[in-house]
Amino acid sequence: MLKRTLIASLLLTGTALAQEGPLVITNAELHMTSEDGDVIENGQLVMRGGRIVAVGANVSQPSGATVIDAGGMPVTPGFFVPMSGIGLTEIGAVQEANDASTDNEALSAALDARDGYNEDTSVIDVTRAGGITRAYVTPDAGGTLFGGCGMVIAMERGPGSIMEGCIGQVATLGEGAARSAGGSRQAGIAMFRRALEDALLYDEDPEAYARSDHHNRLSVEDARGLAPAATGEQLLLVDVNGASDIRRVLSMKDEYELDLVIVGGAEAYRLAEDVADADVPVIINPIANLPSNFERMGSTMEAASRLADADVTVAFYDTGTGYTHNARLLPQLAGNAVASGMDHAEAMRAVTLGPATIFGVEDALGTLERGKLGDVVIWDGDPFEVTSRPLHVFIEGEEKSLENRQSKLAERYKDLGRGDRPFQYRNR
Amino acid sequence: MTMRRLLMGIGLAGLAACGSGEDGRSAYPNPDPFPSTYEPYPSENMVIQGATILTGTGKRIENGSVLVLGGKIQAVGEAGELDVPRGFTVVDAEGKYVTPGIIDLHSHLGVYPSPSNASTSDGNEATSPNTAGVWAEHSIFPQDAGFGRALAGGITSLHIMPGSANLFGGRTVTVKNVPSRTVQGMKFPGAPYGIKMACGENPKRVYGSRGGPATRMGNFRGYRQAWIDAKAYKDEWDGYARSVEAGEGGKAPRRDLDKETLAGVLAGDIIVHMHCYRGDEMVQVLDMAEEFGYEVGTFHHAIEAYKVADILAENDVCAAVWADWWGFKLEAYDAVRENAALVANQPNGCVVIHSDDPNGVQRLNQEAAKAMADGRALGIDIAPEEAITWITANPAKAAGILDRTGTLESGKDADLVIWDQDPFSVYARPEKVFVDGALMFDREDETRQPVFDYELGQSALEDA
Repeated sequence: MLKRTLIASLLLTGTALAQEGPLVITNAELHMTSEDGDVIENGQLVMRGGRIVAVGANVSQPSGATVIDAGGMPVTPGFFVPMSGIGLTEIGAVQEANDASTDNEALSAALDARDGYNEDTSVIDVTRAGGITRAYVTPDAGGTLFGGCGMVIAMERGPGSIMEGCIGQVATLGEGAARSAGGSRQAGIAMFRRALEDALLYDEDPEAYARSDHHNRLSVEDARGLAPAATGEQLLLVDVNGASDIRRVLSMKDEYELDLVIVGGAEAYRLAEDVADADVPVIINPIANLPSNFERMGSTMEAASRLADADVTVAFYDTGTGYTHNARLLPQLAGNAVASGMDHAEAMRAVTLGPATIFGVEDALGTLERGKLGDVVIWDGDPFEVTSRPLHVFIEGEEKSLENRQSKLAERYKDLGRGDRPFQYRNR
Repeated sequence: MTMRRLLMGIGLAGLAACGSGEDGRSAYPNPDPFPSTYEPYPSENMVIQGATILTGTGKRIENGSVLVLGGKIQAVGEAGELDVPRGFTVVDAEGKYVTPGIIDLHSHLGVYPSPSNASTSDGNEATSPNTAGVWAEHSIFPQDAGFGRALAGGITSLHIMPGSANLFGGRTVTVKNVPSRTVQGMKFPGAPYGIKMACGENPKRVYGSRGGPATRMGNFRGYRQAWIDAKAYKDEWDGYARSVEAGEGGKAPRRDLDKETLAGVLAGDIIVHMHCYRGDEMVQVLDMAEEFGYEVGTFHHAIEAYKVADILAENDVCAAVWADWWGFKLEAYDAVRENAALVANQPNGCVVIHSDDPNGVQRLNQEAAKAMADGRALGIDIAPEEAITWITANPAKAAGILDRTGTLESGKDADLVIWDQDPFSVYARPEKVFVDGALMFDREDETRQPVFDYELGQSALEDA
């Protein structure tokens, strides 16, 4: 997996100005205080300059610090959504407000989520109120094999929220690829290989590639877009679910030098050892248990737990409304994974350090360790419980508002009395 | 609505109740040509002891007991209060929770089954804006593996509907979630029919380039003209029935399946379930119902119910909602997490939490829990014993089966769930699910877990 530098993660200037003085959270049940997922009861955490500067059971309190008493409640790293269309889809069924995918077959790998990103999307505030501080945002590989490259964002509106741009190419294999390749998996794989070969050719000699005029080749733009993934410099996130298809993808990882991530991975647990040996992380929907098609015949809610048991790096995402608008429900996914056999600390890792590691930002995010960015959430109960909510959300050491369009609407219509003025004048 | 509720359980007989000829046969067409063949499976007489019971009537009983006799609930109360008759099996449920069986008011299981592909996509007869004459039961695939997953989530009854492409999507059907070879073998005996209608974006999107409706005003013309035609059709049949009753005979009117369903609504026999996101549209629909003398039972997907919660309550209409879905279309943009709580907080407010989803149906308890917690965050204090009614008694009322299920009360079907812990926890799972007293699902006993034909002999499932 790629490792990114800490310097690159400090791009959030302008949107999240770090708090001036130190901020101390006391009386906290601190989670993920190490890579091993350690929990410290009655701990303290100090943030300054946008980063965690001290954490533990006996931390000396700096003078002039703002103090927040967590009242014994859980304090966790901000949660990290590993797969979403946040900022690309304001409204799913409104074409003008949905830039997640294209029907234009002329371009695929060349697309860049940054070019479609709406930094003012209302989804950000809603998601942050759920305790999510980071997300990976990617185009969909809708009707094409490749969808373009995605990025890590901070859950904050504005131009500075893109933390790492164009760090992973997204692709679809299995049934999805068969559909876009003309009806067969063989065609999907053949096209996939040809695209990788084209990208490698481009990488070797861009000018020669541009001069060649072979039919059915990737366009110059797509070849350029795919080249970093084809050479293993960039992540390749492949949506694939069936055991047979996953086996084929793993073999291509070896054949080429792919920095592979499996997305979906409904049956990945059936070859968990192979996936672990190949050091391939899996971004999985832990509640998908329906045999809705043949490549998902083995879907089970225990899949995530079995992968984690085999030491596969796991992160959770949802494919329904939970993909973008309800990405805030990540804690519920984790809770259900626990109910299906996963260790609580392991599930905590899957919503924090797991995705940070997958996207190469584990030096900056994912645990409550000294030196990491101050993405911290104080909860009013077990974060995975459906009845728990965040009380305070910090991004890079600064407390963020939990207000959003939805909370404003609820406040506006809480009292349906006629009042002095129409609803449109209230709670503006 | 009150009138219809009184007719609950005998709803099917409504159209045929009068107009019998001298031979006693109804002049009306047979209202039940696909009758239920559901029969409860064998059950033990038992007492479930020591659990926290959420009765579905708004009550909570600590250390309670439920007595089940002959597949019916015999008594519910504190453990010390009830005498356990000799010969009853004792089910120890200390530390566990017991609730009524969960009911999903908005299901497409069977009509959009697993496996999901064009061969099985049978939920929307999107060929005409008015397909009131199609019946969801004729699309249901009883081998849908989703029924089994829902059962493991505590679902004991499902109200299954056509989709929302059309102004009038067709008839709904209520089933017991007990696997069968046939849909008739699942049909909830005596449950009234419903009709699925749809407001807003879907019909105009589907028909905008196919002759309309292309606008919301076009939608309303479509509904109103259909009600006018249905009224004339009903009058024709009622006239014929009167003449048969008077011994005059005459020629039966020509049957029209679309109008027959709509006439059933006007007669008060068929419950209206209307997919409607926007509050302003709901209020217009209520005026239309007044115009034609019918009642709306439930607005489904009522994202903006909170904006008109007072009006819904005054009109005795339920709002069936998701806890937190939003943003997938413009009419779902103004969702608030407090929607259910704000509706429930009205005097006479009626909230149902529905799924519309083969995944969500497996965790309706979690959806209710979220909605309850969100209400609290806004200062609306809702207890678990009330929130449980959103997925038990209220959907039973909305589907017209509250006289049979939906609460733990003496005389009702023993449809109930034993949870391993508080069902409003994300970690809770049903341990045992009973339908009519029969143990249809047991988490600890594979022989009490259905495997549907489609799943049988698949190696992937053997790994699972």
